[in-house]
Amino acid sequence: MLEPLYRRFPALLMASRNLTRTKMRSLLASLGIVIGVLAIASLGMFGVALQYSISQNLGGIGNQVTVSPNPDAGVDNLTERDIREIRRVAGPGVTVSPVKQRIEPVAFERGENTSQLVYGLQQPAEVYNASDGRIPEPFQSGALVGSTIAEEYDIQPGNTITVNGTAVRVRAVLASEDSFSVFSPGSSIVVPANSFDQRGYSQVYVTANSGEEANETAMAIRGALNDREERVNVEELGSIVDQVNQTFQVINTVLIGIASISLLVAGISILNVMLMSTVERREEIGVLRAVGYQKRDVLKVMLAEATLLGIVGGLAGVLLSFLAGLAINQQVVNDATAVFRLGNGFYLAAAFTFGVVVSILSGLYPAWKAASEEPVEALRG
Amino acid sequence: MTVVDARGLVKRYRTGGEILEALKGIDFKLEPGEFVSIMGPSGSGKTTLLNILGLLATPTEGRVELNGHDVTNLGDRKRTRLRKQTIGFVFQHFYLLPTLTAVENVEVPRLFDRDPGRTARARDLLTRVGLGDRLDHRPDQLSGGQKQRVAIARSLINDPTIVLADEPTGSLDRDTGRQILDEFQRIADTEDVAIVAVTHDELVNEYVDRTVHLVDGLVGEEALDA
Repeated sequence: MLEPLYRRFPALLMASRNLTRTKMRSLLASLGIVIGVLAIASLGMFGVALQYSISQNLGGIGNQVTVSPNPDAGVDNLTERDIREIRRVAGPGVTVSPVKQRIEPVAFERGENTSQLVYGLQQPAEVYNASDGRIPEPFQSGALVGSTIAEEYDIQPGNTITVNGTAVRVRAVLASEDSFSVFSPGSSIVVPANSFDQRGYSQVYVTANSGEEANETAMAIRGALNDREERVNVEELGSIVDQVNQTFQVINTVLIGIASISLLVAGISILNVMLMSTVERREEIGVLRAVGYQKRDVLKVMLAEATLLGIVGGLAGVLLSFLAGLAINQQVVNDATAVFRLGNGFYLAAAFTFGVVVSILSGLYPAWKAASEEPVEALRG
Repeated sequence: MTVVDARGLVKRYRTGGEILEALKGIDFKLEPGEFVSIMGPSGSGKTTLLNILGLLATPTEGRVELNGHDVTNLGDRKRTRLRKQTIGFVFQHFYLLPTLTAVENVEVPRLFDRDPGRTARARDLLTRVGLGDRLDHRPDQLSGGQKQRVAIARSLINDPTIVLADEPTGSLDRDTGRQILDEFQRIADTEDVAIVAVTHDELVNEYVDRTVHLVDGLVGEEALDA
C-alpha cells in the first residue's frame, strides 16, 4: 500500500522501518506529541465553544440601546418631545419603545396585594413575544404577565388580576427569552401605557437591526438630546459583549500558551529518543556514508523519522481532540455537531502543524549530529 | 588501466598530545580484476590504508590516483559521490540494516536514485551470490555467511571497479569463509572487479593474487629493511 510512497520518498521507507525497530520507544515519543496536540486543540475548541455560547446568550443585547433620564442633571423622566426626537434620529428601521414604570399593588386571583413593578408600554409586541395567548395590537386594555410570575401564581390568559384596585384580564403570558436581555420579561407585568396617569417616560428601549446600527443610533441620540447638558444616559450593551469576548480571548490564549509547554516537553522527548537512536545506529549511519550517502541524505532519513513521529502523533492527537471537541460542544452548547464550526478546524490544524513542526525542530540536532559524523570514526565502533 | 595508484602515503593522527604515525610512506598499486590481501598485526596501519583507498580518509602526505584521476584532496561531497560510483565495501560485521529485507539492503546504496531497474538488479545480484531463495528475508533470518553474501551483493550494486573488504571472513567459520572467498574470487575473475581484503586470516592467502604485508606503517620488505 505504501510502496509507491516509499518509491517516491525512499527516506520514508528507511525512517518508518527504523521507527518500528523500537516500537515502544517511538510510541512513547509520539505519545508526547499526542498529548500536546490534544491539549492545545481541545483548549482552543473549548474557547470557541465558550465564546459561541456567550454570544448566543448575550447576542440579543448587542443591538439594544436603553435611554434613561439622568437624575444628576435634574431630569426625572423623558418627555413626549424627547421620544419624538429619539424617533427622528433613530431612523426608520429602528424600533423605539417608550416605557413607563411604577410600583403598584397587584393581586392575583383574589389573593393578597403585593407590590410589583408595573410597566406601561404602547406596543409591547415590539419588545416581547407571547408564549401563551396573544399580545393585542394596539394594546388598549388588559395586562401581560411574565413567565416567572405566571408560573408562581399559576396564571393563564383569561385569568383576572387586580392592578391598583382595578381588575384587568390577562391577555398573554410573555415568553422568556433564551438570551439575556435588558428587557427581561420574566417578572414583568405590562399594562397599556395610557392606563398610567403620569406624563413622562422612565425609559426608552431602542432595538436596532445590528450592533453597528445600535451604536450609530446611540451616538445620534446623544447628539440630539445631550447637546447642551447630559439630560439622558444612553447605554449600549454591544460594548459589553465585545469586552466579554475580548476577556475570553485573552484567557484562552494564556491557556493555549500553557498547553504549548506540553508540546515543548514532547519535543524534548523526541530529541532524546532521536539522540539515543543516532548513538545506537552510529555504525549503520557510518555504513550509509561509506556506501555513498551524502550528509544531506542521512539528514533526510533522520528528519523523516522525526517528521513521521510528529505526523503519527499529530494525527492521533487530532483524532482524540475531535472526539474531545464533540464532548465539549455537547456540554457547553448542547450541540455536539457545533464541533464542525470553522474556528475548531483552525485549532485542530494549528495544533497539528505545531506538533509536526516541534518534531522536526527536535529532530534537527540529532540529524545534524548523525550526518556530520565521520564515517571512519563511526565504523571504528 | 591501473585502478589505484597510491604513492608515498603518510597518515598522522593526533591523539591526546601525541602524534601517531599510522602510515609511514606506502606505495600501493592495484590492477583491474586483481585480488589482493593486506595482512599485518594490529596497529600496523591496515585499516588506515583501507580507509584512504576507500576515500573515507585523506592521507597527510602522498598522492592517490583512482582510475587515473587524482583524488587526494577532494572535498567530502565529491569523495562521497566518487565512493558511490567506484567503490564497494564489505565489513567484518556485515552492517546490514536489520529492518530491511535482503533485496532492500542490496538496494540501499542506490535508494535515493530515481532508478526503476534498481530492484531487478538487486534480485539478480542476490541470485548470483546464491541467495535467490532468500530475497525477502530479513538479516535476522539469515546465517552469517548469507549475511556476508548480501553485503557482497550490496557492494556490487553500483558496478564498482574496486571492492574493499575489512576482515570479510573475520566473523565466519572456516567453511563459510571459504564460500565467501570463492565468491570474491569469482567476482574478481568474471566481473573484472579489483578486490582488496584486509585480514588476519591466513586462509585468504590461498585465494589472492598477491599479499601485501604491513608492519608498523610500512610495507613488509621495507619494514624488514628499515
